[in-house]
Amino acid sequence: MSELFVELFSEEIPAKLQINARNELKKNIKNFFIDNQIKFNENFNVYSTPNRLVLHIDKIPTEIKLNSEEIRGPNVNAPEKALEGFIRSNNTTLEKIFKKSTEKGEFYFFKKESRKIKVSDLLEKNLSEILTKITWNNSMKWANYDLYWGRPLKSILAIFNKKPLNFIFNHINSSNKTFTDKSLEEGLKIFNDFNSYIKFFKQKGVLIDQDLRKKIIQNKINEIINKKNLKIEQNERLIDEIVNIVEKPAVIICDFDKKFLNVPSEILITTMQSHQKYLPTFDKKNNLTNNFFVVSDIKDTKGFVKLGNERVIEARLSDAEFFWEKNKTQNLVKQVDKLKNINYFKGLGSYFDKIQRMRKLSSLISDDFLISKDKIEIASSICKVDLMSDLVGEFPELQGIVGGHFAKFQGFDKEVCLAVSEQYLPNGMESKLPKKMYSVALSLSDKLDSLVGFFGINLKPTSSKDPYAIRRMAISLVRLIVENEIKIKLKDLIVYTCSAYRDQGYDFDTKKIQNELSDFIIERLKNYLKEKKIRQDIIESSTFLLGLDDLLKAYKKSLCLNKNIKKEIGFETIAVYKRSSNILNTEEKISIETLGFADPGLFKNDYEKKLYKKINDIRKYFLSIGKDENYEESLKILSSIKNEVNDFFDNVIVHDEDKIIKKNRLELLNMLCKTFDNYFNFSKIEA
Amino acid sequence: MVSKIKKTLSFQDTIFNLQKFWSKKGCVILQPYDLEVGAGTFHPATTLRSLGPKPWKTAYVQPSRRPTDGRYGDNPNRLQHYYQFQVLIKPSPKEIKKMYLNSLSSIGINHEEHDIRFVEDDWESPTLGAAGLGWEVWCDGMEVTQFTYFQQMAGVECKPVSVEITYGLERLCMFIQNKKSVFDLIWNDEGITYKDIFHKSEKEFSAYNFEYANTDNLFKIFEMLEGETKLLVEKKISLPAYDQCLKCSHVFNILDARGVISVAQRAEYIARIRELTKSIGKVWIESQS
Repeated sequence: MSELFVELFSEEIPAKLQINARNELKKNIKNFFIDNQIKFNENFNVYSTPNRLVLHIDKIPTEIKLNSEEIRGPNVNAPEKALEGFIRSNNTTLEKIFKKSTEKGEFYFFKKESRKIKVSDLLEKNLSEILTKITWNNSMKWANYDLYWGRPLKSILAIFNKKPLNFIFNHINSSNKTFTDKSLEEGLKIFNDFNSYIKFFKQKGVLIDQDLRKKIIQNKINEIINKKNLKIEQNERLIDEIVNIVEKPAVIICDFDKKFLNVPSEILITTMQSHQKYLPTFDKKNNLTNNFFVVSDIKDTKGFVKLGNERVIEARLSDAEFFWEKNKTQNLVKQVDKLKNINYFKGLGSYFDKIQRMRKLSSLISDDFLISKDKIEIASSICKVDLMSDLVGEFPELQGIVGGHFAKFQGFDKEVCLAVSEQYLPNGMESKLPKKMYSVALSLSDKLDSLVGFFGINLKPTSSKDPYAIRRMAISLVRLIVENEIKIKLKDLIVYTCSAYRDQGYDFDTKKIQNELSDFIIERLKNYLKEKKIRQDIIESSTFLLGLDDLLKAYKKSLCLNKNIKKEIGFETIAVYKRSSNILNTEEKISIETLGFADPGLFKNDYEKKLYKKINDIRKYFLSIGKDENYEESLKILSSIKNEVNDFFDNVIVHDEDKIIKKNRLELLNMLCKTFDNYFNFSKIEA
Repeated sequence: MVSKIKKTLSFQDTIFNLQKFWSKKGCVILQPYDLEVGAGTFHPATTLRSLGPKPWKTAYVQPSRRPTDGRYGDNPNRLQHYYQFQVLIKPSPKEIKKMYLNSLSSIGINHEEHDIRFVEDDWESPTLGAAGLGWEVWCDGMEVTQFTYFQQMAGVECKPVSVEITYGLERLCMFIQNKKSVFDLIWNDEGITYKDIFHKSEKEFSAYNFEYANTDNLFKIFEMLEGETKLLVEKKISLPAYDQCLKCSHVFNILDARGVISVAQRAEYIARIRELTKSIGKVWIESQS
């Protein structure tokens, strides 16, 4: 048994590309082994540092035996040239070719004898193609070469069974050597196996295995925070990025001047995380501290690295502090007028126009939410002013949050400040959801205004393109409503938003926007339900009768049925419905149409009467529940008709000779189905 | 902070050392281009010379103007006029990383003592119709260099690919000299500071860029320059055409700083400049083959 060991040495490949390249290489090499029926240790790994992409697989046989096989050639009627080509490509002679009939006709065949193949030969032949198959999300060319790679590829080391594999990948010849000094790209050294390679680099402090690097970084951080009584935020994405931009991680704890802690913490955290890839720390009460972690790629023996990073953060935080001090006192209300100069979107006016519309809309929503109209109007008016601040110029990702801090500093109502701060939330499926009604109202009006606007100027997303992230906007809208359990007439709000646009002179086709946006939002609800692992047939059913005004109902009913579908109340409900609807469907095919009105005067027996009575009881239940429906209770009530239905089918023949009686019995069944529609249309549920 | 070199390396010595270093690597040491530009990349020795098949190596200092970054000389890190040291080599040499790290040693930054990091940074210049992949280079957390493999310039795919190295001289010197404010940088061995030379101009140009530039005139000048560029492109004289285009670009930058260009207009102006650059690039390439 042998090992395959490949190292691709390049200039620094960004973290995300590295992760992707590891996965791609892993997948491609696995497919190669499987396709060629070569055994291998399936628990193999691909490792990477910024400069090295390393593949290691062991337990590979050095030889594989290929069984003899009959290779089909051209049809016997094909031109002679085809046969000649077949003979040539199989390196054989005419004598060894024979004819054989198959289902598709008579063909020439050639019998390839069983033979042994060296795995190293196969690898040498195929490795170049395996590497070519790696797809990069973002790749480049360099010098005069035609190769695309994440960053310039410098050398390839390839070993099988302790011997070098020789192949050419574009302009690069593989060998058994690599550069041991990644910085200056020198120190060529021969390696014949993976272990000595790993050992050599470990002695230099270089950890090839990313998981090991992660563990070491995390351990070191934990050691320090435990000693200092600190916490860090669990930020997997940042940690994973850090792990992949170092090869010999050294964790250094640094600090900045405490005076900066007077600046809103979000600004400090963003500066540290996104701009510098530092890890901020918090005390036990979750307050940001002035300690932060730098993960260096070098041991800081002379203290230069700590000093340098502390100076960098000092300069950056000074900048942020300067802007904060300057911006926080600029009166928000007095600046509203200046929003006239800031374009919201081409064709949708300025931000001033937008907040006028949002004010109307949020004011209407405030009636439903029973919140103060004055407060939500103030929040709408000032919510976009922060876009003109230096701080948002510097930290665009903090829009809203920064505005909330300005509002707080200037003494605005607490709920107004929070609403401004949370106006962009949620931003997609995973993001934090605002809970306070003022925040929800402001976020709803912002999103509705945008959605109506984009649909109004016909910038709807297509199946492949969504440059303005409109889908995310709509999904966020769905989340705002269903997760906060808001009962709201979305249709009316859309119409009202259209009229707010029309008041400003926009020529919007209200009906068209309403229809298209309706479909679009319902689609997002379906996606949302899918994410919540609701069965597809239930999703389809939920939106069959329930529309835009009933997002919450559709959501809750789906959830309830999904939960109960294997239990008696769900199972029986569907069985009863299906039994009735199946008969109706067959009859409809021979064009007996029913309206769902049975005539009790035509009933011939008690079974019909009992079923009729039970249906009416259930109808009364649905009429009485109003807004506070307990969906599980509804399912229970529906399934309780089981006995009456079974008795009916066991004792009554629907297909009575008397057409009028038959029709009446069908009407009764239709009545039952329509009654079930009160929950939702079960016809799409697969039993 | 800095090892090996005992006395503090002055701003001008930093430039001399880099020039000497890259001169030894075979680069043509040029002088700054004599027009207002936003970055060293705009020098025709980079934009135009990176196009076409002919090999080319150059290095030069380029004063760069970014009107919107002016802070009246009040901010220790921001300037509307600063210096870049630019290197451009076509095709990109195999040992370019080694060369770069050695160039840092020549100004006293030893990569074995500092955390030198190549951090992903995909570069794009909408006005130049240019894009590239590479890194910003961090030294102990401070960005000191942009390192880019040009993939596209003036809307044309680069073949062969050039590598561009742009050192931010002020940042680099602040690091080397251990200064918190750019204005405290030592310019020469006589102790002349950056403040002595540039503070007044930062203040006055900020006032010009933000308050006094005559926008009506500038809008007109933009139109005139744009027309002139198009005319020169028709005459197929790319270098004078490019000069007019650079002037356009600077006029646009001042208008932008004056805050008289809306977001929508902004995109439109950028697109207009890009169209000019592209047409010039085309004429230039034709002249190269």
